[in-house]
Amino acid sequence: MALTRREFLKRTAALTAASFAGIKLPFTLEKEAQAADADRWVRGTCRFCGVGCRVELGLKNGRPVAIRGVPESRTNFGYLCMKGMLFYQLMTHPDRLKKPLYRANKKDKFREISWKEALDIAASQFAEAVKKHGSDSVAYYGSGQALTEETYIFQKVMRAGLQTNNVEGNPRLCMASAVGGYITSFGADEPIGSYADIEKANCFFIIGSNMAEAHPVLFRRVMRRKLDNPQDVTVINADPRVSPTSRIADIHLQFKPGTDLALLNAMAYVIIEEKLYDDNFIKNYCTFRVGKEKKEVSFEDYKKFVSAYTPEKAAEICGGNITPDIIRKVARIFATSPATMSFWTMGINQRIRGVWANNLIHNLHLLTGQLCRPGADSFSLTGQPNACGGVREGGGLCHILPGHRLVKIDKLRHEVEDLWGVPRGRIPAKPGYHTVAMFSAVNEGKIKAIWINCTSPAQSLPNCDKYRQGLAREDVFVVVTDVFPTKTTELANLILPTAFHFEKTGVYGCTERRSQLTLKAIDPPGEAKPEVWIVREWALKLSEKLNDPVIKKCVEPFLGLEEGYELPKAIWDEYTQKLTAGRDNDLRGATYEVLKQLPDGVQWPAPTKEWALKGGTYKKFVRGLDPLADKHAVDEKPYQFYGPAHKDHKLWIWLRPYKGPAEEPDAEYPFYLSTGRVIDHWHTSSMTGRIKELMRANPYAYVEINPKDAQRLGIHPGDMVLVETRRGRNILPAKVYEGPMEGMVFVYWHDMHEDRMINRVTKDAFDPGSKEPEFKICACRIKRLSGPKPLKPYIVTM
Amino acid sequence: MPIGGFVLHVQPERREDVLEEISRFPDLTVYGYDDKGQVVIVLESETSEEMEKRVDSLLSIEGVITCDLAYLHGEDEVEKIERGEYVPKIRFGRKPES
Repeated sequence: MALTRREFLKRTAALTAASFAGIKLPFTLEKEAQAADADRWVRGTCRFCGVGCRVELGLKNGRPVAIRGVPESRTNFGYLCMKGMLFYQLMTHPDRLKKPLYRANKKDKFREISWKEALDIAASQFAEAVKKHGSDSVAYYGSGQALTEETYIFQKVMRAGLQTNNVEGNPRLCMASAVGGYITSFGADEPIGSYADIEKANCFFIIGSNMAEAHPVLFRRVMRRKLDNPQDVTVINADPRVSPTSRIADIHLQFKPGTDLALLNAMAYVIIEEKLYDDNFIKNYCTFRVGKEKKEVSFEDYKKFVSAYTPEKAAEICGGNITPDIIRKVARIFATSPATMSFWTMGINQRIRGVWANNLIHNLHLLTGQLCRPGADSFSLTGQPNACGGVREGGGLCHILPGHRLVKIDKLRHEVEDLWGVPRGRIPAKPGYHTVAMFSAVNEGKIKAIWINCTSPAQSLPNCDKYRQGLAREDVFVVVTDVFPTKTTELANLILPTAFHFEKTGVYGCTERRSQLTLKAIDPPGEAKPEVWIVREWALKLSEKLNDPVIKKCVEPFLGLEEGYELPKAIWDEYTQKLTAGRDNDLRGATYEVLKQLPDGVQWPAPTKEWALKGGTYKKFVRGLDPLADKHAVDEKPYQFYGPAHKDHKLWIWLRPYKGPAEEPDAEYPFYLSTGRVIDHWHTSSMTGRIKELMRANPYAYVEINPKDAQRLGIHPGDMVLVETRRGRNILPAKVYEGPMEGMVFVYWHDMHEDRMINRVTKDAFDPGSKEPEFKICACRIKRLSGPKPLKPYIVTM
Repeated sequence: MPIGGFVLHVQPERREDVLEEISRFPDLTVYGYDDKGQVVIVLESETSEEMEKRVDSLLSIEGVITCDLAYLHGEDEVEKIERGEYVPKIRFGRKPES
C-alpha cells in the first residue's frame, strides 16, 4: 500500500534517527520517496552553542522546511538538540529587521531610511567623533555569534582604518578567563585535545558547567561513554548547584560558590602527599611559577605552598558536602585514572579569579601527566559558536590581533600592518578598552560613537542598568547591526538589519579548534544585508569623509565582490593565507574549497591543504600528530610545547592562592546569587502538576531556592519573590528545588522583562587578568512578596 | 505540523519503565530500541515550539538522560509564519551570551 506523505515523512525521521543510533528498522524507503522531504540540502553549523554541530537545512521551492544532522561529522555524529534547531523558524519571522532605521535623538521614533543614507550617517558620526575627539572616541563591540569573516573585517577597519584598538566582544564576558588560563599555563590559547578524547577517557572531572543543558550534544558523548562502560568510567561533577549534568555523575561535589580554588589546591595537596604525581612528566615538561613577575620556583616551593591546603582546611572553606575524605577520593581517581578529561565553563570563567581557577585545573593535569595522551585533556567548553574562531583567533578583543598576536608586542603589530599593506604605526601600540572599561568610557562620555554587532550588552552586561545609562546618552551615537529588535536597539540611533544564519556564508570555529563553513541557502528578508557588505561600504564612506586612503586600503581587496559568497571567501582567504601563516592557529590549508569537501571542517594547526584534508590536528603539541610540533621541535621528546607565550617551551604549574568571590553574603545580603544561561527544562518529580505546567510553558526567568531556605522564609513554589542586591532588584516566581545548595539562589538570565532581567542586579567586579566579570557570584537577599501571579512574556518590539 | 525524529538515551535498566511512560504520550511513536538504552521515536506536534516542550517533558521522565534530534520536518510551518498565522518566540534576538 502506498504511504501517505505524512507517513513517509515519519518514516524518514525514524530512519534518520535509527541510522545515527545504529538501530535497524524493519523498513526502508523507496527511491521515489527520497526527494519528497526537501529538494535541496545546504550544509552548515549550528549557532546555538560552542559545540559546532553540523546540520543541513532542507529547502523546498527555496523555502526552509527541514533540518537534519550530518552523521559523518565528528562533533555531533548527526545528533542535534531541539533548542538549537528552532533558528529555522526565525528566518521568516515577521519581527525580523528588514530596513535601516534611524533617529537623531534617542527619544524620537525610528524612521526607515535607505542604505545609502544609513551608511552615510554611520560614516559621518564615526568620522566626526574621530576628528573632534580622536581615534579612541570610537569603538566596536562584537560577538561570539558573528562569523569569523565579520569579526576580522570589523577589527581591521577599526584598527588599521580608524586607528583604535577599541575592539571588543561578548566573549570577554564568557571566555576571557579560559584564554588567560591556557596562555599562562600552556603558553598557547585553546585546548590541546579534542572531543575525540571523550571516547578514550576514564574519568570526567566536570566543574562549573551544566553540560547537559548548555552543551547537550557533547554531553551525549560523555553520557554514552559512561553508560557503555559503567565500571571503567567515573564522572565527577563539581558545582554548587545540582543540575541535570549530575544525573550521570558518580560523585557530585557541592560547595559554597567561589570556594573551588581551595578545593582544587587541596586536590593537588593529596596528589603531592600521596605521591600520585607523574615525576617524569613534571621533570620533562613543567616549571613552577608564581606572581605577576611569573617568577620560576622549585617543585619544593610548590609543595610548601600547597601544604597550606590540607583537605581538612579546604573542606572547612568549601562547606556543602565537601569532606576531607571526598577530596582525597576525588584526587586519587583524577590522578590514577588511565585518562582524565576535565570540562568547565562559566562557573570557572565568570569569576574575579577566573584565570587562577583555570590555572588550578590545568595544574592537576600537569602534576599527573593527564595531558597529551589519548583521553587525557584539560578542556574548556565554549558558550558561543564562534567565540574561539572569530574572536579569540580573529582578533576580536582589545588586546589581540588576528592569529593569536598581542597588540602590545611591536614585532607582531608591525607584522600585521605589513600583511595588510598599511603604514607601520597605523595600529596603536596600546590595547583598547576591555568590555567593562569600554562601557564605563561610554558612561563617562569618552566614547562618542559605538558600533554594536550581533549582541545585546544592554541586557548581557553585569549591573546593566549602570551601563544602559551611558548608551542612552544623547551625545553617544549608537549603531546596532542585528536581526531582531533587542534591549540594545532600544538605545540605538541607527539600526542596520543583517542577514541571519544560512542567509550568508562564513566560518564558525568551535571549541575544539575546528573551523567549519556555513553556506548561504536563502536570501535575507527585505533589505537585510550581510555584515561583511555593510563594513566594506561603510569603510569606503569613512575613507572619503576622513580623507584617509588607508581606510579604503583596508577593504580594497574586497571591492566589487558579490556579498553572498565571493566577499566572505576573499576575507577568509586574506585572514587564513596571510594572517594565520606561521602562527599556532595556522589555517592556510582550510580554504573554502577544503571546508566544503569535508563534512566537519578542519582542526588547526592545518598549514597545508593535504593536512587539512585529513581533518587537521586532533592533538596539539604531540609529535606525529601535530605538524607544528615537528616543525618547532627543540629536542627528541614526544611533546613539544611551542606555544607563543612560553619561550621556555614548558608548561607552567602555578602557585595560586585561594581567593573568595568579590562579594560574599553577610548579615544584610545573606544569600549567594548565581546565574546561568540555558532555560532549565529539568523538573523534579515532587513538583505539583500546576507548577510543572507553569514552568514548562514558561519563557520567564524564575529564582531557584533550596527547599530548606524556602520553608524557613515561607516561600512556596510559584510565589513571587523579591531578589535584591546592592545594585538593584528583580521580582521573580519561585522554583523550590534541590538544585542550589542551602544559602544560595540561582536565576537564569534569558528574560528581557525589566522585573526579571537578572543582570540588573549582578555585580560588575572583574578578574584583574582576564577582565571577565564575576557574573556567577554576588550577595543578595530574598523575600516573599505574594502568591503566584500570571506573567506575560516580554519581547522587545519596534 | 512538524515531525521530528529523535533518539532518546535512557538508563538501560530503566528502559522498560520509560517505554511504558512514553506510550502514554500523544503523537509519539516508538520505532525501535536497543539494549544500550537507545529508543528511536518520532514526535508530531502543532508547532516546533510545541515539540520543544514535548522534548522537555520527555527529559523530565526519570531515567531519560538525553533526547537528541536527528531530523525535523516543519511541513507547512514556515508558510504559516509567512502568512502571519503563527508567530514563534524570538530567541536569537538576542539570547544572553556566554
